[in-house]
Amino acid sequence: MLTGSQTLIEQLASEAIDTLTVADLPAAQRDEKFRGLLQEHFAVTGIARFALGRHWRNASEEERRQYVGLFQDLIVATWADRFQQYAGQKFDVIGAEVVDASGEEKVSLVQSVFFTSPETPVTIDWRIGSSGDVYRVTDVMVEGVSMALTYRDDFASVLRKDGLPGLLIDLRDRAQGNV
Amino acid sequence: MRAPSAIAVLALLVSACTLPPQDDPVALAEYQEVNDPFEPTNRFIFSVNLGLTKFVVEPVAVTYRDLVPSFLKNVVSNVIFNARLPLSFVHATLQGDGEAMDQTASRFFTNMLFLWTADIESDEPLDIEDAGQTFAVWADSPTGGGPYVMLPIFGPSNVRDALGRGIDFFIDPIGLATSTEVGIGRAATGVVDFTSRNIEEVRDLERNSLDFYATVRSLYRQRRAQQIRNDQVEPTDPAPTIGVDFPSISEDISQ
Repeated sequence: MLTGSQTLIEQLASEAIDTLTVADLPAAQRDEKFRGLLQEHFAVTGIARFALGRHWRNASEEERRQYVGLFQDLIVATWADRFQQYAGQKFDVIGAEVVDASGEEKVSLVQSVFFTSPETPVTIDWRIGSSGDVYRVTDVMVEGVSMALTYRDDFASVLRKDGLPGLLIDLRDRAQGNV
Repeated sequence: MRAPSAIAVLALLVSACTLPPQDDPVALAEYQEVNDPFEPTNRFIFSVNLGLTKFVVEPVAVTYRDLVPSFLKNVVSNVIFNARLPLSFVHATLQGDGEAMDQTASRFFTNMLFLWTADIESDEPLDIEDAGQTFAVWADSPTGGGPYVMLPIFGPSNVRDALGRGIDFFIDPIGLATSTEVGIGRAATGVVDFTSRNIEEVRDLERNSLDFYATVRSLYRQRRAQQIRNDQVEPTDPAPTIGVDFPSISEDISQ
């Protein structure tokens, strides 16, 4: 399980560097390639569902579909560009540990370090869920800050005020503003 | 005369407070989780702080970033960082963390030799301790800092950290050894130094969040809990799953 998790992150890193950091790659193509990696290696629906909190249960099938799509757009808009600035910085996987092996879905944590400059290491921890030989990233923690939890808290504030319809409008505005 | 004015003050405080929703258990649980009863006031202070950052701090920080030679910026950043270590040592002592005491003391003196050359902060990670963290260690509660508080100028905090900040102002060895003017200069330089290094990240964050206030609140809490645990990562719980327990999206797994 640990080998599988570690392999996933190493593979993800090398795929990302190979496909996303190509010089002069048009932004639209980078976005699409990033979206491909996201769908292949991340539990996008699971993360989206977590970020919606209790509102997921009451959402209709159609609302869920729209929401998951828009959530993906937000992640792409936030992260894809950053690979453009990549200039050979070092990324090292340093270890892995089991978090929970009791359930049907096993959970492990892969620790890694990304050097934004040779002197500035940033710790990145990858939470990996696995079932059989399916491995997916379920959360990314940068210096201890969980991306999934941050999205959840950000969305909760909008949901409390305007409910799911309000969140969908905000996400749509954001997606269109950024494209 | 006195009673009515006391009532007026009370009324003002209550009106600036959100009250817990008593009749809806789900909403009540959410209210307690957010733990931000002063949210309206906090949001107001947050917007004032953002205005200050945008119109006062950022222009200075950008000028500083673009015009001052990097070796000089490096020295400034080193001096600011090293001046935090004596207070950090005091708190390592109060927390009974012998290893941190050793590290902090030896780094403080070694750093003196390299103020002009190296980038001492990122040389090797060092946990910086403060009174808020000491309280948290004493109470053995990384996340129990009380209600969220947005401080004017200083930014995000909670009741425990705000109190700690006040105490640190009085017990900081460097602060005690220098004049008030030096203290103000040190604080201002620290803000400019920090802003000049993080301006792009903060702008990105603002652009990419739906409610910037809520995002900053979340980041502050997570980051503080992490500092209190001295960077031991604790996996989030509850956390997202790949969805084996959720049949209607299981096709997402198989493809």
